[in-house]
Amino acid sequence: MKYIMKKIKIHLLLAVSATVILSSCIKDLEKFPAPVVVQGTTPTLATLLDAPDMTIFKAAITRAGLMPTLANANLRYTVFGPNDAAMTSSGLPLAVVNAIPLTSLVPLVQYHIIPQTITSASIPNTFPNFQYPTIFNPAPALSALLRLTTFPSTRNGAWVNNIPMTTLNIQAVNGVMHKVALVTAPPGRYLWDRINIDADMTYLKAAIQRADSGVVAAGTLQAALLNIGANLTVFVPTNAAFQGLLTAQITAYLVSIGTPLPVAQATAAALASSPTIFSNPLVANVLTPTTVKGIVVYHILGSRAFTNNFPTTATSYRTLLNGGIPAHPGVSLVCTFTGPGVSAASVKGIANGTASNLIINPTPDPGGSSDQHFLNGTIHKINQVLLPQ
Amino acid sequence: MRKITGYMVTFLLANIITIGAMAQNITINGNVRNSVSKEGAGAVSVVVKGQDNGTFTNDKGNFKITVKQLPVTLLVSSVGYELQEITVTNAASLVQVEFKPTNILGQEVVVSANRVPQKIMESPVSIERVSAANIRNSPVSSYYDVVATLKGVDITTSSLTFKTPTTRGFNSSGNTRFNQLVDGMDNMAPGLNFSVGAIIGLSELDVDNIELLSGASSALYGAGGMNGTLLMTSKNPFKYQGLSMLVKAGLMHVGSNSQRDPAPYHNWNMRWGKKVSEKFAFKINAELIQAKDWQGRDYRNYARAATGGNVKAGDRASDPNYDGVNIYGDETTAEIRSAVLNAIGASAAPFLKNFIDTLNGGAPINVSRTGYTEKEVTNPNTVNFKLGGSLHYKVTQNTEAVLAGYWGTGSTVYTGSERYSLKDFKMGQYKLELINKNWSVRAYTTQENAGESYNTTVGTRLFNESWKPSGGATGWFSQYSQTYLGARLNGLNNADAHTAARAQSDIGRPVAGSTQFKKSYDSIRLKPLSSGGALLLDKSDLYSAEGNYNLTYLTGEYVDLLVGASYKQYVLNSEGTLFADSAGNINISEMGAYVQASRSFMERLNVTVSGRYDKNENFKGRFTPRATLLFKLKENNNVRLSYQTAYRFPSNQQQFISLVVGSNVRLIGGDKTFITHFNFTGNPLYDYESLRKGNIVAYTPVELKPESLSSFEIGYKGLLMESKLLFDVYGYFGTYQDFLGRRVTVQKIGTGAIALSDTLNGYRYSIPVNSTANVKTYGFGLSIDYRLPLNFTVGVNASSDNLKDVPSDFVAYFNAPKYKANASFGNSGFGPGKRLGFNVAYRYSGEFLYQGDFATGNLPVVQTLDAQVSLKLPKANKSVFKIGATNLLNQYYYNALGNSQIGGLYYVSFGYNIY
Repeated sequence: MKYIMKKIKIHLLLAVSATVILSSCIKDLEKFPAPVVVQGTTPTLATLLDAPDMTIFKAAITRAGLMPTLANANLRYTVFGPNDAAMTSSGLPLAVVNAIPLTSLVPLVQYHIIPQTITSASIPNTFPNFQYPTIFNPAPALSALLRLTTFPSTRNGAWVNNIPMTTLNIQAVNGVMHKVALVTAPPGRYLWDRINIDADMTYLKAAIQRADSGVVAAGTLQAALLNIGANLTVFVPTNAAFQGLLTAQITAYLVSIGTPLPVAQATAAALASSPTIFSNPLVANVLTPTTVKGIVVYHILGSRAFTNNFPTTATSYRTLLNGGIPAHPGVSLVCTFTGPGVSAASVKGIANGTASNLIINPTPDPGGSSDQHFLNGTIHKINQVLLPQ
Repeated sequence: MRKITGYMVTFLLANIITIGAMAQNITINGNVRNSVSKEGAGAVSVVVKGQDNGTFTNDKGNFKITVKQLPVTLLVSSVGYELQEITVTNAASLVQVEFKPTNILGQEVVVSANRVPQKIMESPVSIERVSAANIRNSPVSSYYDVVATLKGVDITTSSLTFKTPTTRGFNSSGNTRFNQLVDGMDNMAPGLNFSVGAIIGLSELDVDNIELLSGASSALYGAGGMNGTLLMTSKNPFKYQGLSMLVKAGLMHVGSNSQRDPAPYHNWNMRWGKKVSEKFAFKINAELIQAKDWQGRDYRNYARAATGGNVKAGDRASDPNYDGVNIYGDETTAEIRSAVLNAIGASAAPFLKNFIDTLNGGAPINVSRTGYTEKEVTNPNTVNFKLGGSLHYKVTQNTEAVLAGYWGTGSTVYTGSERYSLKDFKMGQYKLELINKNWSVRAYTTQENAGESYNTTVGTRLFNESWKPSGGATGWFSQYSQTYLGARLNGLNNADAHTAARAQSDIGRPVAGSTQFKKSYDSIRLKPLSSGGALLLDKSDLYSAEGNYNLTYLTGEYVDLLVGASYKQYVLNSEGTLFADSAGNINISEMGAYVQASRSFMERLNVTVSGRYDKNENFKGRFTPRATLLFKLKENNNVRLSYQTAYRFPSNQQQFISLVVGSNVRLIGGDKTFITHFNFTGNPLYDYESLRKGNIVAYTPVELKPESLSSFEIGYKGLLMESKLLFDVYGYFGTYQDFLGRRVTVQKIGTGAIALSDTLNGYRYSIPVNSTANVKTYGFGLSIDYRLPLNFTVGVNASSDNLKDVPSDFVAYFNAPKYKANASFGNSGFGPGKRLGFNVAYRYSGEFLYQGDFATGNLPVVQTLDAQVSLKLPKANKSVFKIGATNLLNQYYYNALGNSQIGGLYYVSFGYNIY
């Protein structure tokens, strides 16, 4: 499967400012009106697109050849439909929709369609999110059952991934449409693809490689981060966060063995100044693969969390560390909404004095630092390393 | 057995040696003819008044009798004719007797009620009798069906030639509570445990009479007979002579609702009886029936459960887990979410896990394989061939030795725990008998061979496995599940996704009737069940010997006294395909003895008491008493009272069966060897139904007991209105004890505590058990036969059977309607020369819940109309043309769920020398 997915190349040309999302105000979300049951032969999901504010998405659907599918009364779908404003805000005005290659347009449109009827009432508000396959099969020649998935949630509103739904439960005989504030972009890369090349994630990368040393390839963290079957949330401490922690820890150690403080500080700063510290023989007996792995897996949740899925009162969640230490209390997550969008979010390790803040910037990968969506998970950058003990 | 036979031979020789010959020298030649038609009257008794000396007329009406001196008075008699006394003074000329037909009711003589001949009017228990004349005038196509017109009789029709009658409830295909005796031989197939009825046994032309004892009758006839005993008696060649033939040609499957194209019905009968001398006579007879059988075609959806089940809504198109009653192979079912889809969500495609969880609303997704209809997997041809014959030798004037054999083979369909196609089933019964005026001894054997009989459910399920295995990564259910999942992922709705999945997984499914289908199916049905096929190997046998002695000639001054004893040995041999006998044959022996004393008081009251003791080697001995009282109100008007008991040892199957049936339950016997074989002490059993409801109730197998029935009955039979009206009525009340039923239990596979999941995953055994409840039955029956002028007759009867105090969790298999009725109108001879005849018969049977191991459900009301018109040809020797129909209105009916559905049968027949 890993091999399969590595061959999938999805090029998307979305460069959307997260702040745009927040400008779309959502009025009805608190109520979740009951769906109106439709009888007879109309409307179909296709005819719903005749609405005057759906022209661009309809053009996209039509160009992608999906109009007959949505017109078929015997099939069942849920459509996340961006209206014209949402399309335009997402960088997809009609001209772009008509111009981009079909190899990009079709996956984009298909990622907005789920092959079953899901009204808001059947979307859970619990965490982790339900994983709904879309009709986008990135490699049908490899497996007819391959699908990219979305993560609708009714926690803190109504969302598909981190995009708010604006109008819910527009019923059709063959399914339901929920309007969305922006286009939901299908992920195209793996978590590792980002970690491997991001200049501000070199310490985490080095830590992962240290944790994986001596482990057979298939069992490594790196392999998991490249596995389509994985479904993870990775809190990535910035390089500065690692440097700060390592410097403090090494300094304290050197002082404890009688090194004068200035010397200790200078030595520690020098050691911590490069991610090669994880392979430095001088500290190999401290930063053992097991210790490092313990710290790394404490930064990973076994499910996919967008910031809007965080609880608004701090709540503990298990991490991959619980795979080795089942009783570990995990990390504590919390987020703050300002208006309809998340303005702040944090994650706190059990041994940290303070919570680590997420660096909020939901601009889609590779531009942003929060809600970065990948084939097998999300990445949020944080400003402190999480300490499990 | 060998020892017993040895005794028999010694006894026989002793009798032959003591032959006493009388000197006789004057021969009288005579002829008896019908005074109206002037045809010779055959089988008429001619007896010298005041002597033992007697003979019968041959088929031309001629007789020859030798006397010592003249004059003598001859008594000439036959049922349906006036008794005539002829005084013969001169033997030189032919004695011509003009025999006047009469139409008097209640003149028949019955034997079975007290094992001695008595007038039917004076029987102390309820009894019905069918004579050869009744059969002759009946509109039914097979003589056995006449039994169904008697009052109180329920019949279960498995197929054209397989019918099972009973009285007083508890009917099923292959009823084990109703004995059937043919010329004194129990005709139950020893292995398959059903009475073979008319399949093996008498051919129509050889039936002298049939007597039906309703209700408990073990006291004289031994184990079984809880619900009644049917005794069929053949024609003695000393009495019935000549060549007779009967050819019927009919048509079945007509009309818009027919099961198949119209098809012919053939029935050929032949009998030849010959009195070679006053000492020696023989007969041979044969019957062949050939037709396209009726079919089970109940395609309603069935909710199969370990016990019971019920018909439910849905069909193949609407229910992915459809299991048609008469569709086979679709019993194979799986819950594809747990069997396949969850594994996909867990490893191959974890991103689909949530989607899989939401499919079908999260409910189980049960799917059954595509089955084949009964029509597609059973041979449409039903054939029944019977061959019988006997040699009769009069050792002395009063002692007759009989060597007789009945052999039959047939292909038919039978309903047991499943529908069985009995193909080339064979059974033979052979006896040696000595009959004296005062005693009789008989030894006989039943030899059964199931031929190529197979279980259609098992066969078709295996057939499905043969063209595409259900399990495995590329198996049928895997293909189905993946296609279903893919279809749902492509947006198909649930129903369409199932349709697409079935279409995909059924690719390669052999078309019924194709060469590939036949070849593959044959290889399965011809492989024994024990080797993974569907073939039933059953070559079980019965050996029996019995004797009766009427001591009345010694004790008659005080009481009429009758004693008797019998011995039976069953040899079960199914090579592990039916019984737990893969290690070798299982022998079961039974023996019993009875005594009956009878006395009349003041010519008004007759009291008879009898008792019988039986012992089966696997069960404790059992005593069954009977007492009857007959009070004569006036001539031909009698009130009868009886207390009868009956019991039944668990059948051979209830003792030793070991057979896995459609719902994946193993039927096992109650014999204690099963306890060790399946380790019920080390790995205990739990009650299945309780466990299903979440209660853990341990079940410890207990020793089986015979079931028994005590029954009180009161009745009246009388001739009224100048003997033109025969009225018979009875009421009964009975209590069953230790009623034998079955109970499903569960045993854990592997170790650990029993859990709810074990109702699906564990071993399931259906174990015979005795009910602790005393189930009660009651009912009544009445009949009126009326002789109208000009030989017209009208008859009506009605009866009711009821069951009460049945515990709610107890499956009684009562299987009887609350009410049933028959009505008939006919004339056996009217018009010019009284050569025309007709009969119209109507039957009503009320609705009831049919409970069977194969299927359970409500049966609707059944009403049928049969009719015939006959014409006797003038001057031809008792030749009759008949045109008739059974189920004239062609309204398809069935009388057990899943059994064949019966339509109209229209026939013409020609009979030669029918009497």
